[in-house]
Amino acid sequence: MVVALLAISVGAAILSGLVTIYYDVPRQMGAQFRNYGANMILVSSGTDTEFDLDAVQDAVSLISGDELVGVTPYRYETVKIHDQPVVAAGTDMNGARTTSPYWHIEGEWPAEGQALVGKTEAEHLGLKVGSTFNVTYSGEGDEEVTDDFGTDMTVSGILETGGSEEDYIYISLDELEEIAGDGSLDIAEVSVSAVKESLNDYADRINNADLGVSARLVKRVTSSESSVLTKLQALVLIVTIVVLVLTMICVATTMTAVVTERRREIGLRKALGASDGSIIGEFMGEGVMLGIIGGILGAVLGFVFAQFISMNVFSSSISFRPLLLPVTVIVSVAVTGLACLSPVRSAIDVDPALVLKGE
Amino acid sequence: MFFRMIKGAFTRQWKKMMMIALTVALGSSLATAMINVMMDVGDKVNQELKTYGANITVVPKSSSVVNSLYEIEGADTQAYLLESELGNIKTIFWAFNIVDFAPFIDTKAELGGEQIRLVGTWFDHHLELPTGETLNTGVQNLRTWWDITEGEWLSERTWDKDTDPVMVGEALAKRMSLHSGDTVTLSTLSGNKDFVVAGIYSSGDEADDEMFAPMDTVQLLSDKDGYLSSIEVSALTTPDNELAIKAAKDPGSLTISQYETWYCTAYCSSICYQIQEVITDSVASPVRQVADSEGAILEKTHLLMLLITILSLVGSALGITNLVTASVMERSNEIGLLKAIGATNGAISALVLSEIMLTGIVGAAVGYFAGFGFAQIIGQTVFGSSIEMKLFVIPIVAVLVIAVVLVGSLPAIRMLLSLRPAEVLHGR
Amino acid sequence: MSLLQLKNISKIYGELKALDDVSLEVENGEWLAIMGPSGSGKSTLMNIIGCMDKPSVGEVILDGRDIAKESDKGLTEIRREKIGLIFQQFHLVNYLTAVENVMVAQYYHSLPDEKEALEALERVGLADRAKHLPSQLSGGEQQRVCIARALINHPEIVLADEPTGNLDEANENIVIDIFKQLHNEGTTLIVVTHDPEVGEVAQRMIVLDHGKIKTDRVNPDFGK
Repeated sequence: MVVALLAISVGAAILSGLVTIYYDVPRQMGAQFRNYGANMILVSSGTDTEFDLDAVQDAVSLISGDELVGVTPYRYETVKIHDQPVVAAGTDMNGARTTSPYWHIEGEWPAEGQALVGKTEAEHLGLKVGSTFNVTYSGEGDEEVTDDFGTDMTVSGILETGGSEEDYIYISLDELEEIAGDGSLDIAEVSVSAVKESLNDYADRINNADLGVSARLVKRVTSSESSVLTKLQALVLIVTIVVLVLTMICVATTMTAVVTERRREIGLRKALGASDGSIIGEFMGEGVMLGIIGGILGAVLGFVFAQFISMNVFSSSISFRPLLLPVTVIVSVAVTGLACLSPVRSAIDVDPALVLKGE
Repeated sequence: MFFRMIKGAFTRQWKKMMMIALTVALGSSLATAMINVMMDVGDKVNQELKTYGANITVVPKSSSVVNSLYEIEGADTQAYLLESELGNIKTIFWAFNIVDFAPFIDTKAELGGEQIRLVGTWFDHHLELPTGETLNTGVQNLRTWWDITEGEWLSERTWDKDTDPVMVGEALAKRMSLHSGDTVTLSTLSGNKDFVVAGIYSSGDEADDEMFAPMDTVQLLSDKDGYLSSIEVSALTTPDNELAIKAAKDPGSLTISQYETWYCTAYCSSICYQIQEVITDSVASPVRQVADSEGAILEKTHLLMLLITILSLVGSALGITNLVTASVMERSNEIGLLKAIGATNGAISALVLSEIMLTGIVGAAVGYFAGFGFAQIIGQTVFGSSIEMKLFVIPIVAVLVIAVVLVGSLPAIRMLLSLRPAEVLHGR
Repeated sequence: MSLLQLKNISKIYGELKALDDVSLEVENGEWLAIMGPSGSGKSTLMNIIGCMDKPSVGEVILDGRDIAKESDKGLTEIRREKIGLIFQQFHLVNYLTAVENVMVAQYYHSLPDEKEALEALERVGLADRAKHLPSQLSGGEQQRVCIARALINHPEIVLADEPTGNLDEANENIVIDIFKQLHNEGTTLIVVTHDPEVGEVAQRMIVLDHGKIKTDRVNPDFGK
């Protein structure tokens, strides 16, 4: 009995654990994929509305809060450092951390009066962490220089990405405003933890909301992500199915062994005058009871296990799926029931006299 | 006699033995399949992640430095890579891990009064390597996220030699109202040139405003025959660890043995280092966006599979232990008798263990092959390629099965040995 | 000296005295029947004589060795060397043929010898059934295999526990005939039974009641 119960609960635990993980993989892995950075960009739609932080806020508010990983506005201006033209990007450093987790920074993220300098740019200008430089803004075209003396800034860190970011310097939006005056944003990067379809949906919603903002998906990130994620989920699904089938067969063989062991008891009951039907009924009843108890036990165990995996692999917790409890119980009852049926039937066909004589 | 008894048990109780063997087979097939998949999942997912494009870029050592320092727009001072050295990339220590690569050179051109960027590259270039290998590589593999909205991918190998093909970005095509099959005339430094639009692509980035043409055409147009401005390399890499980070900063800071470990591991930084060794005056650096994310995803996938594997191993171990215990306990009558007629504990243990072990070995062997099948099913359905069977899985599975069967039967055997024959034989 | 001497043995299970200060001597070649109602201590006595159990108090001397002082391993050895056991429920290994069941006893004793085993089966009239499995044999035939197995190693004592308990009259007679033959060959026979017919044919009969020997008499009609 204990053996059977143990087998059923282990089977049920594997069932509920793996199914929980299967459903959680896209969410958890999706978060990992956000390492690739922004998968949506917002640009001005070219209407009269100004593309500023408020517009970005309005657009982002259309995205569900728990799916939004981060949003970072960028404003690019050409400034001069030591009389060399350099592209300066004004941004929100906290946003950049979330939308560009792949940035490698030698040194620190910048605080006030500090800047992040791209690796290539730092080499040109001969800047190192801690160096001070002077930024001036020459304005667009023939406009007068707004600040004759420029602004002094220190390099807090050198940015290394292996991409075009290495050609820029990054400072906060406010500081860029001080240097270059008011101006509208050029672009805002948004990182959303969602599958391609819902991303498309969000983009459509933003585009149709008439906020003066148009949303575009970063194809390189979104299409690659959905293809890899589909594969990963398929992997877990197939593995789940294989493990499940094998576990179910294991449970079934154990149940068969347990019932076969009790042939003597079946023979005795028959000898005492029990009808075949009542014996089958009794044994099946026991099987169903075992299935229910084992199923509940297993569902709980499985959740604990899934939680354990989630905490270890993704360091985030998993939500309990209430639907999984009845499903686990039903499956384990069905498996134990089916597994009992054939050995009970074959045991019933045996002559009680033979069984009792110790054959 | 011993063997006769075992033979008797197997030939005349094969149903019971089959059941144990079946359970063992199921358990070991699960173990085999899961361990094999786990071992291979890294490579497979790594391949999948190649859709994100190149993870290493190679540029000439001081191109932009010279360019910006002297603010000279003229191309003469710009540094270039040599096209003749490209094949060397496939000769480095980790050549096998280089999946794809493509060279790039770009030039300015004028179209309809607008300055555009014309990029020369390989599309599906056929490369004969000094090693005798051949390879087809190019942007077709490195820009998997491009959607061809009109026409088709430009193919260098099948394009009719009389005209020059070009691929046009969607945004640019829309502005210039270009369609596939149209002829466009670009005016460049070396005069006007006609191109036929082979296809229009949508990339979702700045390439939507550019044009891509075969390498040699652009080299001729910009008078840079045999030169390249950058190379993108897509390589299968091992996620970085502390050693790799330390090495990436300065390979010189490593001890000799550390250096060897690093050099002979497919870290992104060691592959970069090896590329720099074979391409003159080059700087190879990892594309952080791709390389870092790959590392994180690979690590998580690996860990996930490892834990699922452990879960299923524990499950099958419990299943096997259960059944073995039950089947050994069932034999208390027989064991009691054998003891009564004078069998020693040693003789009984030997008999029961040999039977169980034999069953286990048969089951495990069957299970191994079934597991092989399961692994292939998983490989084919999920990744569309077969899972490589690692030989070292055999001893692992064998040891696991033997351990599980032993652990499963030992408590039961101990219990049987402590049985008093008198109790068993009187049916108590 | 007697082959088997039980000196003031008691077997106590908790409160229950299954055997209470029993003394008994069995001579070489004797045919002894132990009778008594259920719960009289028959089985306990048989287990002790059969070296499958040890008394709580007292000495059991078999062929000069004190069983009460032997380890489990020693008991196993004595069982193997000196005792042949016959069971009410036959206890044949169900996946071995008749001859193989006999050979198992040889195997644990010394060396299996198929020819000798076949001869033993022939003695109990089962030569033609040697290759059959227990499930293909009748109860009487199974009991005869069990007897052949008990005899194969030429034990000092053949100990039978209700040997006819599961048999019909015809088979019962066959078994009694085999016992008679064994006795004539000089084998020491101890038969535990509650079947008076089996008890009556023995040379000497003791009756147990509540763990004590109630009667111990020699059969006056023996051998007639």
